[in-house]
Amino acid sequence: MEYRNKQRIPYWNWVPAAFALSGIILFIFATYGPPASSSGFVSLLKGFFEWAAPDYVAAKAHYRFIPGPGSWIFAFVLGMAMGGFIAGRTSRDIPVRDMPPIWVKRFGAGRAKRYAATFLGGFLILFGSRLAGGCTLGLFISGSTQLAISGIYFGVVIFAVAMLTARLIFGKAAEKEDIQ
Amino acid sequence: MTNIWLGLFSGIAFGFVIQRIGATDAHRMARSHLMLDADIPRFMVLAVALSAVGLFGLQSVGVGRILPLPTSIVATGLAAVIFGIGWGLTGYCPGTTWAAAGEGRLDAVFALLGGLAGAALFAYLHETLIPILYDPTNAGRITLTDLFGNQAVAVAVLAAGFSLCAWGIGKLWRHDNNEKNI
Repeated sequence: MEYRNKQRIPYWNWVPAAFALSGIILFIFATYGPPASSSGFVSLLKGFFEWAAPDYVAAKAHYRFIPGPGSWIFAFVLGMAMGGFIAGRTSRDIPVRDMPPIWVKRFGAGRAKRYAATFLGGFLILFGSRLAGGCTLGLFISGSTQLAISGIYFGVVIFAVAMLTARLIFGKAAEKEDIQ
Repeated sequence: MTNIWLGLFSGIAFGFVIQRIGATDAHRMARSHLMLDADIPRFMVLAVALSAVGLFGLQSVGVGRILPLPTSIVATGLAAVIFGIGWGLTGYCPGTTWAAAGEGRLDAVFALLGGLAGAALFAYLHETLIPILYDPTNAGRITLTDLFGNQAVAVAVLAAGFSLCAWGIGKLWRHDNNEKNI
């Protein structure tokens, strides 16, 4: 029975997917440098503030070292959105939804609550990333690939805290059948 | 200009792969964090192990540019805690919000907006927070090579360690994937 179920899983097998991702990562190291995505947020903000408040941007250290939107950094995150779009349009089986079933089970189907929570979560992940200097990609993946202690340290803590947080929030909901 | 095309191309490929493994789906991410689905975390750590070996190869022929980030014991750790809470709550990390937003998930658009607000606030507080949280415990750009004294040994240790993690995740996480759970 498990075998039959396995065939219905629409996602790629994790081993070839890891080879594909590391191929892309190495391409990035060879053609640009360490890949990063949280910098893309700063790059976009820099572009906005350069238009809205140029003196502010010139005075702030955080905007000094990250280029504006006409850069690899911003092109990469824009490309990620395009890649997500293409991947979503070309897969018939992977569900595109913005109300995760496990969330609905725990907090109900109200969209306002979900959107408020993802706004808060987005705020936290970027605030944390900018404090550390990188995110899952820019610090954990690209840092560990370069053998950086910062990347390994950051990776261990984010996994541990995220697993604990998910357990505290969704643990009870997941115990109920048909979500596991 | 070449850089923009390279960035765009790399982003498209990256976004495509992470959608195909399911990392843009907050439900699948929550199940990964609850140890119910092993694929995303073991995919990530195996990708790091392979990339580290590959990067060692690139460097030995003089290709590529590297820049490891410094380790600040307090700031990197505290940042990771804040990040982990946000990741566990929403199931998105900075990169996946872009891909998931492009895919058409509206909750990711809100995560992206929240991310812009978080980055803007940090940029505003940078001059205040960095001297307090980051600088005092900044150990510099330390790597495993400093620890082991030899880059080839360090790469081997990292690749073996991360591969072992991928194997361990497969053992420790439950495997109750079926149609209903996806």
